[in-house]
Order: sequence, then C-alpha cells, then structure tokens
Amino acid sequence: MAELDAHVVAPARLKLMIMLTAVSEAEFSTVRDALKVSDSVLSKHLAALEGVNYAKRRKGVHRGRRTTWISLTPRGGKALQSHVAALRQLIGDVG
Amino acid sequence: MENKSERISPAATEASVWLNDAEASRAALARGIKTPSWFFTSIGAAIAAQIGTTAVGLADPSPWTVAPLAAGMAALATVAGVQLARFRQLNGIWLGGLLSRVVLGTETLASVAYGVAFGGAIWAAFDTRWSLMISCSIIGGAAYALLGRRWLRAYRSAPARHARGESLAWLALITVAGLTGLALLLLNH
Repeated sequence: MAELDAHVVAPARLKLMIMLTAVSEAEFSTVRDALKVSDSVLSKHLAALEGVNYAKRRKGVHRGRRTTWISLTPRGGKALQSHVAALRQLIGDVG
Repeated sequence: MENKSERISPAATEASVWLNDAEASRAALARGIKTPSWFFTSIGAAIAAQIGTTAVGLADPSPWTVAPLAAGMAALATVAGVQLARFRQLNGIWLGGLLSRVVLGTETLASVAYGVAFGGAIWAAFDTRWSLMISCSIIGGAAYALLGRRWLRAYRSAPARHARGESLAWLALITVAGLTGLALLLLNH
C-alpha cells in the first residue's frame, strides 16, 4: 500500500514535482512563472526537495544570462509516483 | 528540514483538488511549448541531404563524393544543434525526448522510415538511378519531419511519458556506432 510522502505533501511542492515530470530540466524562471509563485517561495520548496535528493539544480545560461536549471532526480521521480499512488488511493477509497 | 507537525493526511476532496490542479499545470506547460520556426522542416531537409550525400559517397567513394558526404553529416549536426539550442532558449526547458526521438530518430517508426529510405537511396545510388536516390532521400526526410510532429503531439497529450529520452551515454554510443559503421563501409568499398 502506497504511503503519502511528507516531503511532497504541500500542494505547491506536489505541483512543482509533477510539472518537472514534463521536462528533462527547466529554467528557474520558467518554473516560477508556471507555478505563479515568487522567487523566494520556489527557492524554499527547491531547497526542501534538494535536501532529500528529490530535485537538483545546476547553474547554466539562458538568453545570454546566468541562470538556474532545475530537474527531478530519479529518487524524486519514484517518491512522486508513490505519493501520487497514495493520493489516488485516498481519493478512490472515498469516491 | 521538513516540519514534522505538517499535516500529511489530506481529505479525499483536498487530495483530488491538489492532484487535478498539479496535472492541469503540467498539461498547460506541455501545451505551451513551442518549436522554433522551421524546426521540423529544417531537420527533415537536413536528414534528406544527409541520406543523399551519404548514398552517393558510399556508391562511388572519391574525394569528390566523400567531401559532400562529410558536408551532409556536418550540415545535419549543425542544423540539429542550432534548432535544439533555439528550442531551449525559446521555452526555457529541455526535453531529452526531443533530442533522442525527433532529432536522433530513436522512435521506432522514425528508425524504420530512416532505415528504409537510407537503404533505398544506397541501392539506387549503386545502380546509378539518381532520380530514385533523390526520391528516397526526400521521402526519408519528409517522414522524419512528419514523425517529429507526431512525437510532439504525443508529448503534449502525455508529457511525463515522453519528456525524457534515452540516456546521453546510450545516444553517444548509437552515434559512434553509426559513424564507425559508415567509416568501415567507406574503407571496405
């Protein structure tokens, strides 16, 4: 039986991780705009996910300026799958 | 550190709203992805040129045909590199699937279409049927471009399934194997 993951349970973090499954990596501002959050909020969630090795970031260049690229780690992908399965189970059990 | 007091057991309705909202955001991100101008057309044209120049180079290896063969390869690498860089700059994202499935043609149908067109072009070139060789090259390039568009539609409908392609190490291995095979064909001819 799948279990909810405390590191992913915050809705914004769940949304961030699910969005990252649609890309190999994404530029920080692209993710920020898609999530409609501030730089600091995104940084906070990223730091939490990096802390448990669910996401990673690297420095790069976008449109000629230095920026940060974000991606989901394999561990993060597995954790997300398990968390989503638990959520679906929760929804299914009641529905 | 994670706040241990954080509630980790949402109600079913909450869970449903969160999940639907997150999946809608992912779908919106995938729908919003744009390809640079002439993306598929230029890749298809570069593939057609590469098939044609390689077929001629293999059928009659000489300085006059091997130079265009190398130029065809270089043109394909340049077009692919430029278009992928434009894609990344335009969207602020990177899709490994786009590189492997669309540009390197690891998608099954693209591989088959390329193989058939390439084989046909080589056979036609050996038989000096130049119009057939050109037709095979164009068909191969057109199929590549159409299958690339098909991949993008598939990506938009299921982004998580299609976003990531094969590993870079595997793609490098395939590329090196292809180039080595081509070099051996040229040397043994």
